[in-house]
Amino acid sequence: MTASGQSGHPDNGEGRRLLAELDLPSEPGNERQAAGEVAEVVEGLGLQPERLERLKTAVAEATMNAMEHGNGYRPEIPVTLKVFASCRELSVRITDRGGSPVPVPDQEAPDLMAKLEGLQTPRGWGLFLIQNMVDEMNITSDEEHHTVELVVRLEELERARGPEGGEDAS
Amino acid sequence: MPAKYLEAEVRQEAGVAVIELRGEIDGFAQEALTAAYEEAEAGRPETVLLDFERVDYINSTGIALIVGLLAKARAAKRRLLACNLSDHYVEIFNITRLSDFMGVYPDRNSALEGAATT
Repeated sequence: MTASGQSGHPDNGEGRRLLAELDLPSEPGNERQAAGEVAEVVEGLGLQPERLERLKTAVAEATMNAMEHGNGYRPEIPVTLKVFASCRELSVRITDRGGSPVPVPDQEAPDLMAKLEGLQTPRGWGLFLIQNMVDEMNITSDEEHHTVELVVRLEELERARGPEGGEDAS
Repeated sequence: MPAKYLEAEVRQEAGVAVIELRGEIDGFAQEALTAAYEEAEAGRPETVLLDFERVDYINSTGIALIVGLLAKARAAKRRLLACNLSDHYVEIFNITRLSDFMGVYPDRNSALEGAATT
C-alpha cells in the first residue's frame, strides 16, 4: 500500500488526509490482503481491537464485492482502496469499474429463516455485514466506477474510552 | 497474504460428530466443508458440532456455506452446534441470527455438555 506519510494530502477541503492508496488485482482471496493492509495503515489511530476487526471484515467484504460484481474477477482490472482520516473519522473508499448495477442494501437484507427454507439463496450477506460493521456506508457511482465508502467515527472511539481515557466501565 | 485453505477432520466424541475446522471458511472451503459434513452425517448423529478453534477467517461466502449446512441439519432433524468462535465471529453469528438456530458455545467441553443435556 502506498503510504502518504504524516503530512498526507488534503482531500477536497474536508480536513481529511489521504493516508494510503492501494491497487489490488481482482482475484479471489485478495480481500484479505486489502483488510490486512488497511489494518496496518490505521494502526496508529488507536482503534480498539473489536472495532479494528469489524473494519477489517467490512473492508474485506467491500473489496470482495468490488472484485466480483464490479470487476468480474478480471485480474487485470484493479480495485482501488484509499484510506483517509480526519480528527473525527476514518474513511476507506473502495472503487471498482462498475460492471453491474449499484447494489441497494435495503433490497438485499437477508432473512435467515427464508434462506433455511430455501426461499432465498444462502448467499447475500456481504452488504448486510458491511452495514453492521461500520458506522456509515455510502455507495456512489459514475459512468465508469462504483465506490463504497466505509466510515468509522473516531468520536465514538473517544466516547467509548470514557473521560479518563480508559475503557468505559458501564 | 497466502490463503489458508480449509481442512476439516471428523471425530466422534460423546455421541457427537465433531468437525474440527482449520484454515479459512470462504468460497474455497465448500468442497472440504461439504465432504466433512457428509462424513459426519454418515453415522446418523443427533448432533454435529463445528469446532472453529483453528479458523481465523470467515467471510460472507463462508457464512452462506454454514447456512447451507444448517439447512441440511434442520431438514434431517439434526442439531448443529458451534464452538470456539472468536468474539468477533460470535458477534457475526449474532448479527446474522445464526446463533438463534444453532447453539454457540465458548469451547468444546461446554458444547458437548450442552449436547448431552438439551
